[in-house]
Amino acid sequence: MCVAGIDIGSITSKAAILSDGKIIGTKVTFTGYNAALAGRKVYEDLLDELTIDETSIKKIVSTGYGRNSVDFVDKAVTEIICHGTGAHYLNPHIRSIIDVGGQDSKAMIVDQDGRVKDFVMNDKCAAGTGRFLEVMARALEVDLDSFGLQSLKAERPSKISSICTVFAESEVISLISKGEKRDNIIAGIHESVAARISALAKRVNVRSPIMMTGGVAKNIGVVKALERKLGMSIEVSEYAQSNGAIGAAVMAMKL
Amino acid sequence: MDVLTEFYEILNDPYAYGQTCRDEKKKKVIGYFCSYTPEEIISAAGAHPMRLFGTRGEIALADQHLQAYSCSLVRGALEEVLNGRLDFLDGTVFPHTCDSIQRLSDVWRLNTNFRFFADIVLPVKLDTDSAKEYMVDVLRKFKRDLKKGLNCRISDEDLNEAIATYNKIRDHLKVIYGLRSKNPGIITGGDVYSIVKVSMIMDRNDLVKKLPELIENLKTRNVSEDRRDRKRVALVGSICDQPDIYSIIEKSGGVVVWDDLCTGSRYFEGIIEIDGDPIVSIAKRYIERQICPAKHVSLTARGDHLVAMANEHDIQGFIFLLLKFCEPHAFDYPYMKEYLEKENIPSMLLEIEDQLPAEGQLLTRFETFMHMF
Amino acid sequence: MVTKLKVILTLCFVKIKKIMLAVKKKKSMKEIMTVYYMEAKTAKLSGKKVAWITSGGPVEPLIAMDIIPVYPENHGAMIGASKMGVDLCEKAEEMGYSRDLCSYARSDISCATVNGGPIGGLPKPDMLICCNNICGTVLKWYEIQARYYEVPLFILDTPFCHTEYSEEAKKYVRRQIEEYIAFLEEVCGRKMNYEKMDKVGRLSVEGQRLWQAVLDTATNSPSPITAFDAFFHLALIVTLRGTRIAVDYYKNLLEEMYQKVDKGIGAIPNEHYRLLWDNLPIWYRLRWLSNKFADYGASLVADTYTTAWCGTLKYIDVDNFLDSMAEAYSRIYLNIGIDEMAKNVIEMIDKYNVDGFVIHSNRSCKPYSLGQYDIQKIVQRERDIPCLVIEADMVDERNFSESQIATRIEAFMEMIKEQKGSWSRNSNYTE
Repeated sequence: MCVAGIDIGSITSKAAILSDGKIIGTKVTFTGYNAALAGRKVYEDLLDELTIDETSIKKIVSTGYGRNSVDFVDKAVTEIICHGTGAHYLNPHIRSIIDVGGQDSKAMIVDQDGRVKDFVMNDKCAAGTGRFLEVMARALEVDLDSFGLQSLKAERPSKISSICTVFAESEVISLISKGEKRDNIIAGIHESVAARISALAKRVNVRSPIMMTGGVAKNIGVVKALERKLGMSIEVSEYAQSNGAIGAAVMAMKL
Repeated sequence: MDVLTEFYEILNDPYAYGQTCRDEKKKKVIGYFCSYTPEEIISAAGAHPMRLFGTRGEIALADQHLQAYSCSLVRGALEEVLNGRLDFLDGTVFPHTCDSIQRLSDVWRLNTNFRFFADIVLPVKLDTDSAKEYMVDVLRKFKRDLKKGLNCRISDEDLNEAIATYNKIRDHLKVIYGLRSKNPGIITGGDVYSIVKVSMIMDRNDLVKKLPELIENLKTRNVSEDRRDRKRVALVGSICDQPDIYSIIEKSGGVVVWDDLCTGSRYFEGIIEIDGDPIVSIAKRYIERQICPAKHVSLTARGDHLVAMANEHDIQGFIFLLLKFCEPHAFDYPYMKEYLEKENIPSMLLEIEDQLPAEGQLLTRFETFMHMF
Repeated sequence: MVTKLKVILTLCFVKIKKIMLAVKKKKSMKEIMTVYYMEAKTAKLSGKKVAWITSGGPVEPLIAMDIIPVYPENHGAMIGASKMGVDLCEKAEEMGYSRDLCSYARSDISCATVNGGPIGGLPKPDMLICCNNICGTVLKWYEIQARYYEVPLFILDTPFCHTEYSEEAKKYVRRQIEEYIAFLEEVCGRKMNYEKMDKVGRLSVEGQRLWQAVLDTATNSPSPITAFDAFFHLALIVTLRGTRIAVDYYKNLLEEMYQKVDKGIGAIPNEHYRLLWDNLPIWYRLRWLSNKFADYGASLVADTYTTAWCGTLKYIDVDNFLDSMAEAYSRIYLNIGIDEMAKNVIEMIDKYNVDGFVIHSNRSCKPYSLGQYDIQKIVQRERDIPCLVIEADMVDERNFSESQIATRIEAFMEMIKEQKGSWSRNSNYTE
């Protein structure tokens, strides 16, 4: 039996298809301005890629901020619950999940069945989200994909004290003009993001084993800095970015 | 006209209503901000107490007086008075609560020119004999200030008459809350909020006649099925002048059945005895009523209250609405959350300002929360 | 057990050594504060009780009852000065406390749970004394600590004096002073010695007068003292008010200041402009700010903060200390309306012959900061001097933007220069 999960995020849309409880494919595309269209497209693209006919998909669950904009699904569930379910599916021992996406960061605690017991979400501020990294990478003219790796090269991370994205950007610019090494600044930015995320995570008392999901989990610099701040190791699966979609598919299986 | 429709008409433009009270009923209109305002004394003076909220518009003028780290209620209220929207008022009264309102009182006094102005410097602790006595003293002082400022007489009969009216209003509001708690389907949360809000704005003598009609109507309403399985939640916080929050909670599979809000149960709880010195009786209600976090009666009063509320009204989860920059509430949140955790009652925190967060983000949080229990 | 004993012995030894050193010469602030905290930390050994008290609270009855007063706010200042504020504030945020809360409270609340900070945490309290004449924040803060330490809390409620100190308030506060003493008697299990109380009251008044005299030496030009010095010397009038130690210390300090005045030595090398500071210090940037202003030849000769511990002397009757103290503690700078505050500011501008007003808009302190813009307007209307607003926080460094503040100071000093006449750092300008 095949089921599908679609996660429509603010920047990317993700789809996952499970067959008899096993992942057979996932896909990530950009969302653009039309969430409904993006959800439909990433799903259809994945079906094409896997050469599966739509009729063989028994149930579909949507998630992410655009979850209610698609009408062809059986149920819409929040991404917090789906990330919990997805992480539990990938590793049933996981007790905490830190999900950092484009505009949101969230931390949640799950029980032995993957049910969310408590969660926190960032307020409307972009500090500690993917957007913050994006703005900083632009200020430093560094490719976002190599941003994390470059942070590991630093000798001594610069101190970035402002929390506000706008002020932090001007702090970064003044560091550049002072001749601070670029790697140190980049590491400082990662420290700053990690500090925001760890503050959020500690508010729900995250405990081991922790899994990090969402697009920012692909950034090794943030993961390493976060591990140091939390004093715990963090698991990142190969499906970090599509974890929410996988969770949605698992939810679909249970419908 | 349907009672609710009439209420919504008033709420649509409360200032116009205030102006009408002044022009047609020849009543002096006294603005206030908090549920520790002794409205009974104001009404007994023949004046009309009217609660003020923040602003729905831009904040520009207030920024010349208050820093960005004061709450939206304080900044918004100042904006309203500075841009002239509150010109219909005859005066304002500031009961002592938090540091921000206290400074707003100063800024207000120095930058406005109403006929009447008073601070009621209430006690902060309510658990000692001297504080209880001071509460009475300070209310008497307010009565004197009011008599002098409005040039009127306030007899004990006037006071008792006003108290009787407010007792009825409070009782009616409590009945409405009770009916909703029993049958959450009969009325939306937004409507209940609007009823409480209008109760602080409308002429109390008119209001007291309208509420029974509304209650009768509610009693005959059928319960819509889909509301029966909703998760029963309660709101905790200061003020929440955002009726939309109720519908978003309802969309997320929940329903608000009770609250601990200044614009909710804290406004109507407690009946004033009509026996003996009316000022002493008014003071007694404040001493015994559920406190706001800017007051002190014991170390765990507010936590105990939530647990009792959960049991009495079968509440499955609490939503803390924290007005950004509100110190008294922000200090209480961690202990209250822990207190509820000990009882296995889930809770969530939502920081609010004059505008609610985007509905999408709110839905995500509320839906997840409702999923947790 | 053995190690514990060793620690105690070492502590005692260090303490004795310090005391011996201290008798030999004038006691330095550091020595006095070290001994003070040592005593407080070893109170259990000496059988003394420890009370935590708010900075504006009446400490004299505690001293008279031989209870060691400990000031979480002084601790907050130390945390800020040692730049440990951000870590501790973040820790409190992890505990669920909002970032918008007072940074003294945040750092103290989290410090209690980890015994961190510059002195490894404060000694555990046996009781908490909270006087709300400085803010409503302390009420919530002390409630939290009372729950955490499970110790009795006494609240001294001083009604806010927007425009008056009412008869009603007078009666209420006076009664609470009696309740306060009864509370102390009950916790300690012994009676107040009123003879001793009288002596402590006299020492308190003497200390406050000396402190005022020290601050008054700033009326001289050049001033021998700046607000930055005052922030440092303040510790004793806050913590040891009512003791001989404080009186002796300020006597010596006053002597030192007089000598400087006689010799015409200023606190900064070239005093050309005289400024007034408003609000709490920015503890983690004292040196930076002090140098920054000194670079422009500006001396911060006075401030509204340190005068708070002697500003209500006029209400005190030394022969009737307890009665008059009720009024004095109710009418301190932070417990009055902003028009009254502005009046105080203008008096200080005249008294200290000030050229500019520096306003620290402190995110952590609403009663001090909200209303500053109106005070600024009143000051500018009445005295027409340039004003500077610095947006910051007393402990939480994350709210301090160096480049932004440096630019503002520069512009402000330009304005003062325009107004008062120019002064070139390189010229040999003499008065």
